[in-house]
Amino acid sequence: MKVLLVDDEEELVTTLAERLSFRGVEAKWATAGDGAVELTEREPFDVVVLDVKMPHLNGIQLKKILERIRPEMKFVFLTGHGSEEDFRIGSAEAEHYLVKPIDIETLVATLNEVAG
Amino acid sequence: MTTTDPVCWRSVSEEGLRFFGEMSASVSHEIRNKLAVINEKAGLVQDIALAMKSGRSIDPDRLALQAGKIIEQIRKANQIVGALSRLAHSVDRSGIRIDLADLIGLVVELYGRKAAQAEITIDAAVPADSVSLITSPFLLQGLIGACINLSMPRVDDSRIMTIAAESCSDGAVIRFQHLAGISESDTDLGGNGAGARAILAMLGGRVSADGRHGELVLELTNQEEREGGSQP
Repeated sequence: MKVLLVDDEEELVTTLAERLSFRGVEAKWATAGDGAVELTEREPFDVVVLDVKMPHLNGIQLKKILERIRPEMKFVFLTGHGSEEDFRIGSAEAEHYLVKPIDIETLVATLNEVAG
Repeated sequence: MTTTDPVCWRSVSEEGLRFFGEMSASVSHEIRNKLAVINEKAGLVQDIALAMKSGRSIDPDRLALQAGKIIEQIRKANQIVGALSRLAHSVDRSGIRIDLADLIGLVVELYGRKAAQAEITIDAAVPADSVSLITSPFLLQGLIGACINLSMPRVDDSRIMTIAAESCSDGAVIRFQHLAGISESDTDLGGNGAGARAILAMLGGRVSADGRHGELVLELTNQEEREGGSQP
């Protein structure tokens, strides 16, 4: 399974990518929308994990752009807020929605479920 | 409106609560992000240790590197909590002499995340111990926060808002600089600026716009000094 992680917190995405590699998941990462678009244009991913709140392009806006490039990709949203409003937006916009801090085994199980 | 006007007090209280809520929400979000990173880093240390236990050859320096990064995240989180704690402890003080460099630095630190989200930098350009003011620090922090909120969408192409301060005969002047298209109509402190205007009245201040220099100018007068900085 190939996963793209997008979060403006570089330490978070790089560490998550490393942890996923210990579990046999190939993960690439980007810290902003333009990097994510570049990677997606270059290669397809089974699942994209997106932070909802990011500067410039937020997760919801970025999802729409990435969907146009690769309509077959699936999405999981991440947030550090966990407010009712975030949950409403996140769950309406993506197949799955996880609140930070994430349990890595829950993330792997979610990725497997979403990727089918 | 006078400072004893109950409507004024109510507006001041509501604005103070709004400001404290805004700062608490921002700081809690930032702390949660730091905890998320610490969570992953600690998990990665476990993953590496387990892999080493099962015979995989892994450079032990990877463990030391992650431990160092955990310590760094804890240091940053501690700094953010410290800033919120300083804000909280300023609530019950009034009529005390404050160092504006220190106070503006604190507000800039608290607005760091919001500025990053707006893709701007806020630069506090006030040398330490250079400008002091006798005032209510919490209310002034709220007022500076309202000015930052108003100024943020108007920051010019430099993407840097500079906050400068200088002494004047009976107080101090704070300047929010590098703003494009700032005008006198902005001096109402935004559409929901009633609370900020009430604080301004209570602190004996005045806001003006200097469109030619791209500045929002906050003039403040010294309040009556109170022994020990008690509640007015």
